[in-house]
Order: sequence, then structure tokens, then C-alpha cells
Amino acid sequence: MKEFSTLATYTKIFRKAYLLAGLLLLLCIPGILFAQTDSTKTEAKSEIEEPSLIAPSVDFISVQKSDKTIDLKAGLKAKIKGTFTQLPLLKITFRLLTDTEQQPLGFVITDQQGKAVLNVKVDSLKTDKEGKLHFKAMFAGNKSMDPADEEVTIKRARIEIVPQKEDSLLTVKIKLIDEGTGAEVPVPEIAVGIFVKRLFGPLKVAEGTTDSTGQASVEIPNNLPGDTKGNITLLAKVDENELYGNIEATVIQPWGTFVSDKLNELPRALWSPHPPLWMLITFAILMTVVWGHYLVIIIQLFRLRKEEPHTPIPVTKS
Amino acid sequence: MELNTYQQEAFNYQRPNIEKFEKRNWIWIIFFLLWIIVGVYALYLQISKGHIVTGMRDNVVWGLFIVNFIFFIGLSYAGAIIAGLLHLFKVSWGKPIIRLAQIMTVISVIVGPIFILLCVGRFDRLHHLFIYPRLQSPMTWDVLSILTYFVGSVLFLYMALIKDFAVYRDAKMNVPKWRQKLYSILAIGYRGAASQKRHLIISQNLLAIIMIPLAIIVSSILSWIFGMTLRPGWHSTIFGPYFVLGALHSGVGALIVAMWTYRKMYKLENYFTDKHFTNLGYAMLVLAAGYGYFTFSEYFTSWFGSAKWDNDVINKLFNPAEYGWWTLLANLAGIVIPISIVAIPKTRTPNWITIAAFIMVMGLWVKRYLIIVPTLETPALPMQDTRIEYVKYSATWPEWALTFAGIATFLLFFTLISKFVTVVPVSELDEVSHKHHVNPETVIVNNEAVQPA
Repeated sequence: MKEFSTLATYTKIFRKAYLLAGLLLLLCIPGILFAQTDSTKTEAKSEIEEPSLIAPSVDFISVQKSDKTIDLKAGLKAKIKGTFTQLPLLKITFRLLTDTEQQPLGFVITDQQGKAVLNVKVDSLKTDKEGKLHFKAMFAGNKSMDPADEEVTIKRARIEIVPQKEDSLLTVKIKLIDEGTGAEVPVPEIAVGIFVKRLFGPLKVAEGTTDSTGQASVEIPNNLPGDTKGNITLLAKVDENELYGNIEATVIQPWGTFVSDKLNELPRALWSPHPPLWMLITFAILMTVVWGHYLVIIIQLFRLRKEEPHTPIPVTKS
Repeated sequence: MELNTYQQEAFNYQRPNIEKFEKRNWIWIIFFLLWIIVGVYALYLQISKGHIVTGMRDNVVWGLFIVNFIFFIGLSYAGAIIAGLLHLFKVSWGKPIIRLAQIMTVISVIVGPIFILLCVGRFDRLHHLFIYPRLQSPMTWDVLSILTYFVGSVLFLYMALIKDFAVYRDAKMNVPKWRQKLYSILAIGYRGAASQKRHLIISQNLLAIIMIPLAIIVSSILSWIFGMTLRPGWHSTIFGPYFVLGALHSGVGALIVAMWTYRKMYKLENYFTDKHFTNLGYAMLVLAAGYGYFTFSEYFTSWFGSAKWDNDVINKLFNPAEYGWWTLLANLAGIVIPISIVAIPKTRTPNWITIAAFIMVMGLWVKRYLIIVPTLETPALPMQDTRIEYVKYSATWPEWALTFAGIATFLLFFTLISKFVTVVPVSELDEVSHKHHVNPETVIVNNEAVQPA
């Protein structure tokens, strides 16, 4: 009997100790969780703090347009923490390089996408002996960034577009002309893309290659949606040519189909702001049934309260 | 309020539980509060630094928070269905456990949606859900249905408590004055008059009738948030019933665990009897089998179809290098273990059934994780500028801290409510239900149950 009671006491003590240990362990868990915060963080910070300049790069292209101007387009970006980041609100200076000097053309502050575009008139620019233009886009650098620059060399050229309509057949005749030396020389064997301006960007509709006379003729689909007057803007483009860079010309033609700018009344559908009628009815029925029940129940509870008997009632013994 | 002998007996037995606040109750409360404080700190970090402190990124936009939301809200639906069925079919043995099911319903429907709020990135735009709702969106359905369901479940619990509030009011209990006054207000003048009884019964029956389909509809709507999208692993016609069954399954398990805990804590062996455990165990067995059938059907159809994206998800779920072991564990814990334990007569005891239920509830939590995360890690369309750390989800410590804080809140509410009302409904007990439960060897001496030596 004594043995049994000793055993029982031990078991009791053991149980209590077990419970206490378990409880302590549980109480420690918040502490353990707090300890999960990154204690190495400060060391990592000190590593980052070492000064190292960001090395940006300039993407620079030119676009020769049919209105005798050139768009100089520069983009500024840098690799930061392993990913390329566009650098906004920085000054890009554009210059024309001649044999003897660097003629400043102007500067542009980069936009949120890190892009800067300067439009210059061609007539005011000096070409070199070969009739080429040399442009330079420069970023001067600042406290945290290295300077960067990029050059581009092009020969002057232009595209002429002649739209032709025969019955329902729409054709665009393109002529590519070299103007570098002053005389007009046709440029053969160059691929020219025909695009139509859309809301977010140009849509390619045809492509042709210039022949020995510098001309190409391509057909255009006749079912393109236009604006409210049925106009479409045709765009002929030569992309990244080694000698001429980018060349563009645009023309507006009433070749598109008429598109109304008035909003159509949206039908009741899943994707429109108005839900389908059956859904609205089902929803209304379901909600009315459930909330109606609630209302009836609450009314019953109020009635229950009102009907409290005034006669003495037996009290529960405590 | 007049009570019969059995009701009086049950009240006297449980009276000390709501009158006294013992040391161990304080210990539990402090422990839960500690967890909640850690959670609040994690929440502070999440608000001040943004959702970057969580593991959620562009691809995997839902993580532990949504897992917990589905888990808790599932418990709630199950509670409502169980309580509704027991009430409506007047199951006499079920009377002592109805309140527990109702309490679980209300607490879960409070804790569950908190996780949705934690998951919302732009908290300042939360009211837009009500100002600019799109009735076509399952999100809108979910918000409205949960709100409706919340009101229903609170009403359901409250109506079942009115009679007991009247008992507490009339018993002049040894509780602070404010509590006495509160009992009196909540009893809304119920004295047990025939007309009052009629009003209460009508209301309770009406609500029980509406709560069962409501819980099923609301649970299905929750599943449609997933099922209505075209994502692999989610876009399935059986998701509605699958979620309803899953919710019921985990709810029965949680009810068994709650029953066992209160039985031990307040020595309620006379009320939460072996019969309750066995009956709920049988329910768990049937639900586990049904759940297993749905799970098999879901995986088998996806696997056999071999659609590209479905295949990717299935491979993730069954590849041991990814979620293979978790899938195995979830199905063993959620399906095989409860069936085996309840099926074998030797293990069909309260303790074993509770162990099986606890493991099953854990397994179903993991299952919810397996429904959400692997699918989000399998984007149906290639995303631009996506990074490997965006595609793979790994929960961070603030997410875990908030998860445990949620569980602590759930348990804290359970602790507090058991100090405010009796866990076993006093006024609902009748001779028939009581006879089932009284252990013939137990005698009542001075309002305390004493086991014979």
C-alpha cells in the first residue's frame, strides 16, 4: 500500500513537472519567434554602405522624318541590384559632331521611363565630307552616377508615300531617296514596313523592298477600322538601317471603316457593369428570404419581451 | 424560470464554472494574450513595411491568411449545420452538444474573416467593396453571404441562450452586478410563460431551417471564389460540395476536440458522454469516407485528363520533392486515420476518437494549404518580368505569428465564453436526454459529481 502511494506521489510530481515544463516551453515560443528577426541585418547594411557609383548607359537612336526633322531619342538606364532600371529626371545633352567642333543642340530631362527626345531641323545641321551627320547624347554624371554617352552616325534620306486607290484595291507606293550629298539618289534593296497607327502602337500591315529606282509598291487591307471620319494614318518605316538609321513618313488617308466614338449602351452581362437580370433576381430573392426570416425572428423576440408575465413566477433554488 | 430536476441538477453542477475564475483560467488567458501580442507586433510590421514582410508576391497572392480563413469559416459552417440538424430533428442525445456547436459557429465566423482583412493590401479601400460592389463577382457574394451568415449564427446562438439567461438571472448567482444585469437584459423578460415558449420555439425552428441551407450556400460561395476561376486545380464543378463536405468533416473533428477539452476541464463526463464521442466518431467516419471519395475523384479526373496546366499542379502535389509528402500526410491524417480509428472497436474510445479528430483537423488545415498554394504557383499564363522568388511561396514569421495569434484568439474566446454561460445548455435538457447521459455509478453530492470509490 505504501509502495503504491509513493508511486502515486511520484507520478503526481512527474505529471506536474511535465505540465510545468510544457507550459514553460509554450511560454518561450513568443521569445523564439522574436528571435527569428534577422540579426545579421546590420552587417549587411555596412556592406551596402560602401560607396560605389552607378554606371549608367545611354541607348541612342535617330529617326529621320518626312517633315525635314530628326528625332534624337536617348534612353538612360543602369543595372541596379541585378535588374535594369530606367533612370528618370536626369539631364541628357545632345550635340552635333563636325570635323572641327561639337555643336550643342540642346538638352532634355528624362521622363519616368528614362527617355529623352529632341527634335531638330535638318536644314540647320552641318554634314561631313561624305554627307553624314554625327550626333552625340551625353549624360554628365552626378554624385552617385558615372557619366555616360553614346554616338550615332547617319546619312540623310527620306521616304515619300504616294497612296493610290483603284476600285477597292488600296496601294501605297513608296520611294526611298538618299539626300546626303545634296542630289536626290534613289536607294535600292531596302526593306520598308507599312504600318497603321493604332491606340497603343503601330500595327504592321505590309512590307516591301525598294527596286533599282528606289521604289516599292504594297497593297493595304481595305477593312481597317479608322476614326470617326474613317481616316487612318499610314506610316512607312525603315528600321535601324546601318547607313540611314531609322526613317519614317506618315500620311493620313480616308481608307478606314467608320468607327463611332459614341459609347454603346452596355448589355447586362458578366463583364459589364450591369449584372444579368436572372442573377439580380436570384440575389434579391435569396437575400429577401434570409433577411426576411431574420426580421420575423426579431419581431418574435420583441413579442416575447412584451409578453413577460406579471404574475409571480417560481424562482430557481440556488 | 422553473426548472425540472434534471435541469436543476445540470445547472447546480455547472454553476461554479461560471461563478469562479480560477488560476488556470488566468494562465490560459495570459498565454493566449502573449500570442496575440506577438501577432499584433507582426501586424504592426505588416502595416508599416507593407505586405513585403509576408511571403506573398505577384504570383502567389494568397498564402497562410487565406488558408486560415477557409479553415475557420469551414468550422463555422459545420457548427451551424450540426446544431441546425440536431435541433430540427430533435435528437435527444444531441442536446448537450448543441451549444458547443453554436459557440464554435459564432467564434469561427468572427476569427475567420479577420484573416481576410490581414490579407487585404489596400486596407484604405476596403469600403469600396460596399460602395462599388459588382454583383457578378464571387468576392461580392462572399462578403455579403458571410455578413448575412454572421448575423444568423449570432441570432441562432442567442436564441438558444435566452432560456439559460433567464435561469442565470433568477438564480441570483455570485457574479459581479454588471454581469447579473447583463443576464437580465439578455433574458429579455423570459419567464417561461406558454406564449413566450411558443414565440421562442417558432423563432428557433425558423432559424434552424434557414441556417442549414444558408451554411451550405455560403460554404459553396466560398468554394466558387476558387472554382469560378479558370485556374488549374480550382476550376472544378465539384468544388462546392467538396468544400461543404470538407467544412463539415473538420467541424465535426473540432467539435470532438472541444467536447473532450471541456469534459476534462469541467469534469462534464455526465453530459459529454462516451455515446457523444462514438456518435460523432461515426459521423466523422462517414464524412472522412465521403471526403476521401471527393478527393480521389478530384485528383483522378485531373490526372486522367492530362491537360497541360492540370498536369503541372498534379505533378507538384504528388512529387516528393515538392508537395508529395504533404499530400500524403494530409490524406492520411484527414481520411485514413479517422476511418481506421473509428472502425476498430478497441480504439472507439473518447480519447482515441479525440486523437483521430485532432490529427484530422490538422490534416485538413494542410489540405487547405494544398488547395491554394500549388495552384497559385502554377500560373496558367507566362507572366512578364516574373522572378523565381515570386513563383515559389514560403510563409514568413509574421504570417505564422498572425496565424497563431488567430488560433489564440479562437481559444481565448472559447475560454471566455465558457466563463459567461454554461457549456451544456441547462434549460434544454430533458429527462430523456439526461437519462442517456447519467452514469449510473456517479452520484451527486452537494452539487458535485463524485465517482464511486
